[in-house]
Amino acid sequence: MEGVGAGAGFRKELVSRLLHAHFKDDKTKGAVSGDSLQLMAELLKIFVVEAAVRAVRQAQAEDAILVDVDQLEKVLPQLLLDF
Amino acid sequence: MEEEAEAEEQQRFSYQQRLKAAVHYTVGCLCEEVALDKEMQFSKQTIAAISELTFRQCENFAKDLEMFARHARRTTINTEDVKLLARRSNSLLKYITDKSEEIAQINVERKARKKKKSEDGNHNSRELAEAGVVESEK
Repeated sequence: MEGVGAGAGFRKELVSRLLHAHFKDDKTKGAVSGDSLQLMAELLKIFVVEAAVRAVRQAQAEDAILVDVDQLEKVLPQLLLDF
Repeated sequence: MEEEAEAEEQQRFSYQQRLKAAVHYTVGCLCEEVALDKEMQFSKQTIAAISELTFRQCENFAKDLEMFARHARRTTINTEDVKLLARRSNSLLKYITDKSEEIAQINVERKARKKKKSEDGNHNSRELAEAGVVESEK
């Protein structure tokens, strides 16, 4: 996980909009704390990076030249179970 | 009236499309970093699939966060709720817990720096004011 460091990431505003788009309760529609948005951005980043890295590992195990949807599909079940 | 509902539906749809596009961009950047690090290329379909996946996972996350906060009788979602999201994998939970402490620490330091700056500012303006008073009394 150290390889992908302070590079790309999810912007706080995007995270906020993504969450608000799916809130059902009118009372929550207000409020996600700033710290939580930053933490959620981290969580989403890990989700993406895990998906990518696991797919790469699968492709390497299969001696594939690039990472295609087939490899991603194989790592999907465990990824979703881990999250 | 039907036209209004249709227009609203269109708006909601295009908003969602814009969100998805923003996610897709960030996912693309992250995958690019992984690709460079592991020296492996991703197909466009793979990046699109991860992007779609992330977008849908956000829906689950949002609903869970809402429920956790409500369960704790709060209307604001806080970091404890986010940590609960990471409960299924021990290493993930540890990483997120460490990150949350790091974030809290950074924000505490940032607030302390801001406070010190404004205190220094007040101190300077007070000195100037006192100097001014002394001058005029002369």
